[in-house]
Order: sequence, then structure tokens, then C-alpha cells
Amino acid sequence: MVFNSLTFVAFFALVLAMHSLPLGWTTKKVNLLIASYIFYSAWNPPFVILLWVSTVVDWYAAQGLVKSEQPLARRAWMTLSVVANLGMLGYFKYGQFLLDNFSALMASMGIAYHPPHSDIVLPVGISFYTFATLSYTLDIYLRRALPARNFLDYALFVTFFPHLVAGPIMRPTELVPQFAQPRKATPSQLRFGLALMTLGLFNKVVLADTFLSDVAERIYDANKIPGMLDAWAATLAFSGQIFCDFAGYSTTAIGAAMCLGFAMPDNFRFPYAAVGFSDFWRRWHITLSSWLRDYLYIPLGGNRHGEMRTYAALMTTMLLGGLWHGANWTFVAWGGLHGTYLAGERVLRSRFANYRPGPLMFVAFGLLTYVLINLTWVFFRAKTFGTAWTVLGGMVGAHGDAKPILSAYSLICVAAIVTGIVVTHWLMRNRTLESVVARAPAAAVSVVWALMAFAIVIAQGDGSAFIYFQF
Amino acid sequence: MPSSTSSSDAAVIAIPLADARADVPRLTASDRPGVAQPVPERDIPAQPWRAVSVGALTLFVVLMAVWEFYWRNQGATPGYYNSNGEWAQQRRRIDTGEGGKTVLVGSSRMLFDVQLPVWEKVTGERPIQIAIEGTSAVPVLEDLAADPSFTGRVVAGVASDLFFTGFAFRGDVIPYFHKESPSKRVGNWLSRQFIEPYFAFDDFDFALGAVMKRQPWPERDGIPTRFDVRKLLTQESDRNSHLWSKLETDAEYRELARTIWSQRFDGPPPPSMDTPEKLQKIADTQIQRAVDAVAKLRARGVSVLFVRPPTAGRYLEFDDKFFPRERTWNVLLARTGAPGIHFMDYPELQGYELPEWSHIKATDADRFTEALATIVTRDFWKETQD
Repeated sequence: MVFNSLTFVAFFALVLAMHSLPLGWTTKKVNLLIASYIFYSAWNPPFVILLWVSTVVDWYAAQGLVKSEQPLARRAWMTLSVVANLGMLGYFKYGQFLLDNFSALMASMGIAYHPPHSDIVLPVGISFYTFATLSYTLDIYLRRALPARNFLDYALFVTFFPHLVAGPIMRPTELVPQFAQPRKATPSQLRFGLALMTLGLFNKVVLADTFLSDVAERIYDANKIPGMLDAWAATLAFSGQIFCDFAGYSTTAIGAAMCLGFAMPDNFRFPYAAVGFSDFWRRWHITLSSWLRDYLYIPLGGNRHGEMRTYAALMTTMLLGGLWHGANWTFVAWGGLHGTYLAGERVLRSRFANYRPGPLMFVAFGLLTYVLINLTWVFFRAKTFGTAWTVLGGMVGAHGDAKPILSAYSLICVAAIVTGIVVTHWLMRNRTLESVVARAPAAAVSVVWALMAFAIVIAQGDGSAFIYFQF
Repeated sequence: MPSSTSSSDAAVIAIPLADARADVPRLTASDRPGVAQPVPERDIPAQPWRAVSVGALTLFVVLMAVWEFYWRNQGATPGYYNSNGEWAQQRRRIDTGEGGKTVLVGSSRMLFDVQLPVWEKVTGERPIQIAIEGTSAVPVLEDLAADPSFTGRVVAGVASDLFFTGFAFRGDVIPYFHKESPSKRVGNWLSRQFIEPYFAFDDFDFALGAVMKRQPWPERDGIPTRFDVRKLLTQESDRNSHLWSKLETDAEYRELARTIWSQRFDGPPPPSMDTPEKLQKIADTQIQRAVDAVAKLRARGVSVLFVRPPTAGRYLEFDDKFFPRERTWNVLLARTGAPGIHFMDYPELQGYELPEWSHIKATDADRFTEALATIVTRDFWKETQD
């Protein structure tokens, strides 16, 4: 079920009630585990089997890792975990993509090969929970973490519903220890948690779904040639939509966990105030970028084997990170652009190591970063390269005679909301939400909270899925 | 060993310009490369949270009350939401033991003009209402044709500008029905139990986005102002629906509704239909789809009856001009072999008041339904009624 649904409201109220009953801690954890399975199976019940497979395989792989002393045996257990998880991910997420590309390759060699269309349905959240379970076995393999003391704690780590389908991608060391002792939210935690959930849903239901998604759709999905203003408006709208959608999900998830007494890590840190691309990746989807860094970039050699290996590792990481988002070459292009940006930044940083920008240049670099990030969103949002080139052409003014597509209302919405987002990110750049809330007058916090809740209800969202569910 | 990585490994992916973020108070995984990530710490801002939450809740309730009062003052009353979930609930009845019933398909005229209680009074059977506004009946006919559970009878409404163009504003309703998740189903049930019967504001026309969009924004050169279709219906629990009484009582709103339809009459046709030949080709395609669906249904013993409900004023002129009966309706009946009731052929189906030219007003809809159901039982389904 999605957070922005009446079903979730009822579900969460029941979970909170169950969690506050005077029951033993183990019983409460069992309740949370069952609730998490219900949460997941509410989409498509059979897919809960995949979740169980991933859970059980990694549990036994971790047990094997702990019991094995021989490097070969440890490597074998780790390989089993990686193959099982990535195999499942590969089949469900990339099966058709691989077949289609193989078919195209054959065709390029003059061989007609037409694989049957398999109609594989992508299980929601599979990319997220496979990465979470993989981090469990990999951390044990890398001797960074000890295994969970019991299967219940481990299964709950994998399945805990706030992070299950769209992150933040939790590491075992972040969550498993929280299951060791009874946890219950204090009244203040509960209320602040609810306030965070309201903020997250406001971002998703009001800003992303009500005001921004339609603008992006009307350019990216309409098969029309956009002029410069329309192309930029749609791309800026998508930059706002994807932030509000995904950061909204993460904030709601953090708030939901907090209401139950658990802490989840930040996944976003005002990314549109990033200055440079390494800064961007410290602020955007932090739990994915750090996962890729720890389990892909560093094992590939990181920056320890000379410049060329560093760039190769960097580009490989970003290309695969792009592919993680979806079975489409446009996502690979998105990752490739980010890899190129990061490599370019690395070159500049080494060449101008002593350069320190003044305040104006600092902001200018920030805006340049934002503009270049928007170029990458074109490939992320477009379903085909044809669409991407068409929109990019519009953005650089190549369609001078294009007819206007978006209404003044749409342009005003995008200008107001995206400007608001970027300015907010710059104001919050070196702050946390908590520090700002702490300094705000209590009445202002009440009013803002009430207005956000009011806007969510009157927006009458249709319970549309979060963008990252498809990944 | 990977665990012995230096901290500079983080540099490429995640090290910012020097001193850019020196005072960030909370570290994240991006600050800790290559190590086990610790349990996150989340601080709670120092606020009187009890008072803050009570204040927020109070203000929220006040705002909601004002919002609800405003819409009720505009003439809205609580009713059931014409959602995909509601449609799916009715469609599901066919697969759960009621497959032998009469089913109403079509677009908004079948939905608004045919009153289920009156139909039930005349025929003894309350039909299943799965007509859906702005949407051709053809996709629903095809869906029913593919469903062996359905063995009843179909009354298919024909709105010329939808049926013969294949336009399906709510075409997503069929895939929604087939893929409806347990979560969506529960959500629909909760909404029907706790929201829809009590709140008038719960209507697509009163949603924040719709309200904002229709404000008097500046115009952009080259983009003609277009008004979206406004609220026209009120709905009961099994999708029995009728035209919103505001169309009868509020002349300004009625005129607005007519203006909105006029956009269709006065605007340029879509490029795919901008010549009579193109339009006829599309109509023929839709008729062929209907022929195929009807053949499948009739092979299973299902009776199909087409109905062309009344239109008036400029809507009727539009229909007659672009979808003349001899090139559309007559062809449909001839090629499908199914019987049909055209309102122009029956005096008792004429003379009703259609405030915005497209739908019969609520009070007249009872009389229309009675006349239609009487014709159906008298002239078409007589043998089965006997």
C-alpha cells in the first residue's frame, strides 16, 4: 500500500495501537513483522514469496559466512547471496530488457530472433529490499557487522514497512540493533513523527502530484515539439516533482518509523543547494549513493589504484547506478552523465586545488550545478532517447517555431514551486529541519502543520504510486 | 581488503568543495565511507509538542469545516465518488454470482439518464450500472465479451461523439478493474464507509488542483483558454446517478456547462478527424470493434440492445452534423445485427428537459427511464420477461 492512501491511514493507526499495547517486546516485533508483510502483500500478495526467498537465502548465507573460516568458503557464501539477490532482480527487472537487447544485437548481425514477450511484472520495491538484504551479507563478509542474534530481528530488518519498498536503504547495523531493546515513541517523538509524515505527504500529494506532475507529462509524454520555455518548464517541473515525490516518501517513512520509536537515516539533504556533483550525491538519495560507494565503487578499487582505475570505477559505478533505476538505456545515459560530471569535477578540483570561491561564485557554481542536474533529468524522465533529444533540443532553442504547449497557469505553478524549492534548499543548506523547527514559534509550527494537512486532504490525491516504486 | 579503505575513497563520489558544509550538524552515510553505519540519531526539536499538535488539529478541523460549509453552500451534497474503485465494485458483481443480470454500459447519458430504481420498478430487476462518463461503450463491451462469467443482457448507450470516435476519457477503468490491488480495494471500501456519505467536498471538481486551475490566470499567447468539464453528477451507492440539481437551479452554472460543451463544437477537430473521410474511417473502426464484441456476446446467448439517449440544442446539432445517423447509428445496427432504440424514433423518449443539452434533468430522468424500460420490455425483451 502507498503512504498516500486511506488504506495506509487505517493500517498505520492499527499498527500504532498494537505497538502501544502492553505486550512483550518479542510479540510486538512479531506484530511489526506481520504488519510489514501485510503492507507489502497489499500490492500483490504472491510477490511476498520473493521477499521471503530473499530473506531466507541471506539469513542462511550469513550463517554460513559466520561459521566459515576459509576464505574460499566465505567467498562462496557471499557469492550465493549476491547471485540469488541479483539473479532475482535481474530476472524480474531486466529479463525483458536483456532479451530485447539480445534480439536487437542479433538483428544487427542479420539474424532474426524474436523472443516471446514475457509480460514479467516488476515486484514493487525489489531494487530496494535486495540492496538492503545484500548489505547484510556483504557487511558480514567484510567483517563490518555481526549477524543478527535471531531470525526475527533479521527478518524485521529486511521487511520493516517504513523502508521496505522505497528506502531509505537501511544497513543492518543501522536497524538491527534497534530491535534488541523495547522501543516505544515518547509523546514528543510521536507528535513530531506525525508532523514529519504530514510534511512528506504534503510534498508528494500537493506539490508533486497536484501541481508538477501534469506539467512534465504534457511535454514528456505528449509527442509534441516543445519550444524553449515549455521544455525548460517541464524539466524544471520534473526536477521539483521527483524531489518532492521521493524526498516526500523518505520523510514520511522517517516519520512513520519515529512514531513507532525507531530512527531512520536521512535520505536527502536539500540537494538543489549542492555546489558540485560530489556535493549533490552527498545530498541526493544518500542511502543509495553511499551503498554504491561502499559495495561497488570501493570494491572496484576506488581511488587507490591510479587515475585511470579511479575514473573507470567511478564511471562503472554511475552507469550501474543509472541502470539500477530502470531497465532502459536512458537511465544508463543518466548515470553516464553523472559519472562524466563527477569525473570532470575531479579533474578541475585537482587542477585548481587551492581555489576557494567567493560568495557570489559559490552561488553561481550552485546554480550551474542545478542547471546541469536538470540536463540529466531529461534522460531520467524521457522514456526514449527520441523524446530526450526533442526536449533537449527545445531547451537549447532548436525549435524556434514551436507552438506553445503549456498554459500560463502551468508556467506560474512551476516558477513558484521550483523557485520555492531551490530557495528553501539554499536557506536550509547548512541546517537541519529540526534546528529550524526548534527555533520557530510554536504557533507558527501549528499553523504550518495544519495548513499542510488541510492541503493534503483537499488535494484529494488519487493515491498515485511514488515514482521510485517502479525502480 | 575492502575494509581497509582510506577515507579518501569517498572523495570522488561524495566529497564537496572544501569548507562548503562545515557546520552540518548531522552526519549521514555519505560522511562515513567504507564502514559499518551506526544506528541513526534523530533529534526532536524543542517545542511544546502537545500544545503544537492540539493547535494544529484544531486549526485543521476549523479549516475543513469551512471548506465543507463552502461547498455545501454551493449546492453540493454528500454522495458517492464516481471513482475507478466504485466502477470496479459494480463490474466485479458480474464475476461474483450476478453474471446473468442486465448490465448498463455506455457513457454519461446512460449513467445520468437511466435511474436504477425506476428501471427496477418496471422490469423487476435492478441492473448493474457500469456506464462511465466521457468514455465509449466499445471497450466495456469488449471487456464483457471476453468475460465468460457474463451471460446476462446489455443495454449499451451510444453517445455519438464518443462511441464513433473511440474516445475513452476514463479508459483506464478497465485495466484498473483487472489489476486492482487489495490495498486499493480496501481504500475504496474505507472511503465508502467513512468519507463519501458524509462529506460534500469529496468531489473531483472541488479538489485543490481543479479549483486553482480555474482561477482567472493570465493567458499565454497561442494557448486558447479551455475550461475543464465541471461537476455534473451526483451518485448513490450502487452508481445510480443523476444530473446535479445545480444545472437546473443556477442559470450561470448551466451556461458555463453549455460553454464548456461549446468548446467541442466550435474548436478545430483533432488532426486525425479533420476531414469527413478520416472521421468515417475512425467510425468504421469503432463499429467493427462493436461488431466483433457483439458477435462474441451473442454467441454466448447475451442479448445486446443499443440505446441512443436524447441530446438537445447545440449538442444535437453537433451530433447530426458530424455523426449523421445514416452513417453511424444505422450502420452500427445493420452490421452488428443488434436491435436499437433511437430517441428520435419514439415520441415517449422526447420532450425532456436537458439543461446543458447533454443530460436529462434529474426529475425528468425518472420519466425517461420508465418510458425506456417500458419500450425495452414491450418491444425487445418481451419473450424473456414472459
